[in-house]
Amino acid sequence: MTPEGLVALGIVGVTAPLVPGIAVKTKSLLTGRRGAPVLQLYYDLWKLIRKGTVYSRTTTWVFRAGPVVVLASLIVAALFLPLDGRGAPVAFAGDVVAFAGLVALGRFALVLAGLDTGSSFEGMGASREVTIASFAEPTLFLCFIALVLATGDLSLSGMLGTPLAAAWPRAGASLSLVGISLFVLLLAENSRVPVDDPATHLELTMIHEVIVLDHSGPDLALILYGSALKLTLFGVLVVSVFVPRAGLSGPAAVAVLLAGLAVVAVAVGVVESVMARLRLTRVPQLLVGAAALALFGIVLQVH
Amino acid sequence: MTWLGISLVLIVMGGVSAAALSRRPALGEMLFRLLFGAGCLTGAALALAVLAGAAVPDASLPAAAPFGAWVFGLDSLSAVFLLAILSVGAACAFYGLTYLAHQRGHRAIGAAHLLLALLVTALALAVAARAAVPFLIAWEGMAVAAYFLVVLEHERPEVRRAGMIYVVATHVGTLTLFALFASWAAGTGDLSFAGLAAHPPFSTGRTGMLLVLALVAFGLKAGAVPFHFWLPEAHAAAPAHVSALMSGIVIKMGVYGLMRVVVLFGPPPPWWGWVVLALGACSGVLGVVWALAQHDIKRLLAFHSVENIGIILLGIGAGALGMAYGHPVIAVLGFAGAALHTFNHALFKSLLFLGAGSVIHATGTRDVDRLGGLARRMPITAAAFLIGAAAIVGLPPLNGFVSEWVVYQALLRGASTGDAMQVAGLAAAALALIGALALACFVKVVGALFLGTARDSVADAAREPARGMLRPQVGLAVACVVIGLSPIAVVPPALRVGSLVAGLPSGAAGGGLQIDAAAGPATVFALALAVGLLAAWTLRGAFGRRQRRLEAATWGCGYARPSPRMAYTASSFAAPLLGAFRSVAGVRPDHTPTTFATHVIDPVLDRAILPAWHGVRTAATRLRPIQRGGLSQYLLYVVAAVVTVLLYLLVAGRHP
Amino acid sequence: MHGAAHLVLLLVVLSDLAILGTTRLSSCIRGLAAQGWLLGLLALLLAPRLSVHAVGLALGTVVVKAIVLPWFLSRAIREAAVRREIEPLVGFIASQLLGALAVALAFAIASRLPLPTVQHPLLVPVSLATLMIGFIVLTTRRKALTQVVGYLILENGIYLFGLTQTESVPFLIEVGVLLDVFVGVFIMGIVVFHINREFDSLDATRLTELTD
Repeated sequence: MTPEGLVALGIVGVTAPLVPGIAVKTKSLLTGRRGAPVLQLYYDLWKLIRKGTVYSRTTTWVFRAGPVVVLASLIVAALFLPLDGRGAPVAFAGDVVAFAGLVALGRFALVLAGLDTGSSFEGMGASREVTIASFAEPTLFLCFIALVLATGDLSLSGMLGTPLAAAWPRAGASLSLVGISLFVLLLAENSRVPVDDPATHLELTMIHEVIVLDHSGPDLALILYGSALKLTLFGVLVVSVFVPRAGLSGPAAVAVLLAGLAVVAVAVGVVESVMARLRLTRVPQLLVGAAALALFGIVLQVH
Repeated sequence: MTWLGISLVLIVMGGVSAAALSRRPALGEMLFRLLFGAGCLTGAALALAVLAGAAVPDASLPAAAPFGAWVFGLDSLSAVFLLAILSVGAACAFYGLTYLAHQRGHRAIGAAHLLLALLVTALALAVAARAAVPFLIAWEGMAVAAYFLVVLEHERPEVRRAGMIYVVATHVGTLTLFALFASWAAGTGDLSFAGLAAHPPFSTGRTGMLLVLALVAFGLKAGAVPFHFWLPEAHAAAPAHVSALMSGIVIKMGVYGLMRVVVLFGPPPPWWGWVVLALGACSGVLGVVWALAQHDIKRLLAFHSVENIGIILLGIGAGALGMAYGHPVIAVLGFAGAALHTFNHALFKSLLFLGAGSVIHATGTRDVDRLGGLARRMPITAAAFLIGAAAIVGLPPLNGFVSEWVVYQALLRGASTGDAMQVAGLAAAALALIGALALACFVKVVGALFLGTARDSVADAAREPARGMLRPQVGLAVACVVIGLSPIAVVPPALRVGSLVAGLPSGAAGGGLQIDAAAGPATVFALALAVGLLAAWTLRGAFGRRQRRLEAATWGCGYARPSPRMAYTASSFAAPLLGAFRSVAGVRPDHTPTTFATHVIDPVLDRAILPAWHGVRTAATRLRPIQRGGLSQYLLYVVAAVVTVLLYLLVAGRHP
Repeated sequence: MHGAAHLVLLLVVLSDLAILGTTRLSSCIRGLAAQGWLLGLLALLLAPRLSVHAVGLALGTVVVKAIVLPWFLSRAIREAAVRREIEPLVGFIASQLLGALAVALAFAIASRLPLPTVQHPLLVPVSLATLMIGFIVLTTRRKALTQVVGYLILENGIYLFGLTQTESVPFLIEVGVLLDVFVGVFIMGIVVFHINREFDSLDATRLTELTD
């Protein structure tokens, strides 16, 4: 656990709320509006932290634990990512499984908190969230398998670190496919268009927003920050696959990462401007398509 | 081995005292608790010592026993199963004391306790047997004891039906086992395991026959698809603590059998590994999809056993392929993951069945669509069940995660081998699908049972069960957490088991393997996560005390009069996923404008086995006229048979 | 040259998968047109030297496969007012998975085929994959137009395979392009006779109704 790694983690943690901000700004500009400030999420978080909370009478400790577990699991998951391009604060063989497990733990807590309210809307959102996740998780593992093939390493630090840079000349085509697949996963896991519309106003069409309908005050702040962090973590995956930063010095690597995250955020905004939300029954098909891409990436390397 | 004998004698004596002293239940139960507990502790201590590396010499009964000496022994593979049998057995037995107590008077519950003790003993003897004959006897004893426990509530017709299906399935398995051992020892006639292991190499055809027989016999016991059909019936029909023991332990004997066959047989051919891997992937995915479709909580949990057997088979398949293609690390990891997951699944599946039993005990219904909001009325049961659910889904920092992590490593390492084994890497994606679907299913169960509001009045009177039922659940939940937090303590013994099955010297697992190095950081990670969760929870609590709090109704999106009937049902919750998997789910949706329900068909039982059974029965009815009961007629048959044989000899021209 | 051909071949497979995954007929046709451009480019990239023959072949391919046929097809969907493939025989998710498996299978088979070395190592597996995916589209969809698209993909696969043989059998490709003209006539048939639903006579499921 290096101090530089923790500093990088701190920087990424502080800048995480910028990522959805940039995406929203891009979308506004492309659709001819001025849009909310890029820093809007910081204002929202500051406002929510100072507010009181309203708890439904139906809820139990599961509801109160939800936001805490969501955020804690995502922060621990961030420890596995090699932010400086070489090694993560925590790394061991098979930590990809731990990364996926932590994302799943966050989802488990969030969805149970939603069900704890007994509202049919939140039950519906929870049902959709786990349905989409059921297709997203195998796709994520197909991407990991392709990375294992390219690098021969079982930890995220190796898959996205030095061995990846060495693998690019050999398996560039396959890695690009994996990167695209990971970008689709980013959209699905973070409830962005075309899977879910974060700007929607009708509960019946929501996924993520409807699960957290009953959270308020600091709880909601934790959830909002958690979603921004999750988007950032998946962004780090995408950026790390496309831009191996092992050759750069620590600060330069983090700077490149932040620039890459900004590009990913703009890309999310562009996708949101040019696409409509898919019908819910179409979403699995999108993710299976992403899985097919990752599988093709695997086949190209085995060939 | 003496200690194992003492332990089993104590357990049986406990059972006998509960049955014999049924007139004085208090004394009988106290003796049962004491003797059974002492027996389990003795045996568990012995198993732990073996797992820690102690060697136990084999014990042999006098050679007068038929078919060679009856040998018993204990290696690390047996020990890990023995430990699971005794710890889960104790939890289930103690739970059963309270669970069955209200039926005293109209049911012979003393006999039920005795049967449970006999079942545990038979299980322990089966894993300790080192010769085919005692193994088969213990195997049959286990099947019979389990049968009587399944049909304990025999006044219900569906219980009798389940018992019938179970007894047929298990006997088909036993017959296959007879065939397996008979053809294995056909050349030498030595039925001891040492003799089987020392058998000269088989021809390709014999190898194929033996390994397929093993797969059918042990697959039937384990409930792997397509041999799973008896499992949900039997597990749903039995009383809760028996279901827990069957799902947690009895089906694992199939896993034990497969691993023991690998030990005795040596490296299997590649095709066997692929078949096991494919069976594992099918069992895993289909098991969890079928589980999603269930409304009966016990059937749902039973289908999850099919799923977890699938995960274990993925590990065994990876191990067998690692052996066949010459990758010792993958072989060790695969078998180690399978063994560890077997143990972990025994813990959390019995925990879940006991929790489900408590819910059924408190509400009188097994239909998840009618329940809800029990977390307020049964907080301890709810917390224990939640831990079990998170563990079976494989979430860190619980025990399910540790074993799935090992299996994942075997599969992912397979992907980077550079030979045919690479294809096995894709099974990691199947495992991810299984995990994600299991998460969906357990979110559904926990949500439907414990969270939100009840849709029915059955949950109104529910309250926490007596301490005798709570303590086993809490104990199992604590075990799940402790194992989850200490990969460094459980992974090395599991690796020893893995290297035993893979036929490697046990030292190979000690230092040389990379995974051993990963267990340390994994422990740090699990502990850090646990501390982080606790710290975050405490901080949130401290912060929360200084802020304003309001209590209100759940936000109904502007709807002013919400009613419990509006809560999302478990059927609706699972509907989108079942829609996506409709081609394999076997679900018929049934909806009117205002209601939605689903009906489930088991593709194997309802579409293949029962029709075939009816066909056989119809054919048998046609044969009935030849059995009129007249003695002269039967004598005629005998004469006709003798004449036929004589004629055959005449025509064939050979003399015996 | 080699790297560019590599990229183009990958894009061919991606266009196959895209066509397999889309429900909208117009996107299907767009994917097919893109594939036509890619094939034309490939004919140029894989030619041993830049000859008149190679340029002519590339131009012919682009004109027929990327411009004329897609135009015919779009006209057909306008005339017949079909927009979507409503109920394929095999679901979209399943057919996409089938497609992914077909790609894997194609790569596995290609590495075992006893073929002399060809211009590009990916050419044979990609042509096999395209063949199989064309076959999947042809057999799993109900609409006549999608079936035509499937046939064209199948034919593109044959064209790709033909590219490996340009040295020895130079006419093969030209014959392939000529075949496309036949398909053009076929599509015009759809337009002219306003066949806006499935071809009853082509729908194999209907054949079972012939029993008495």
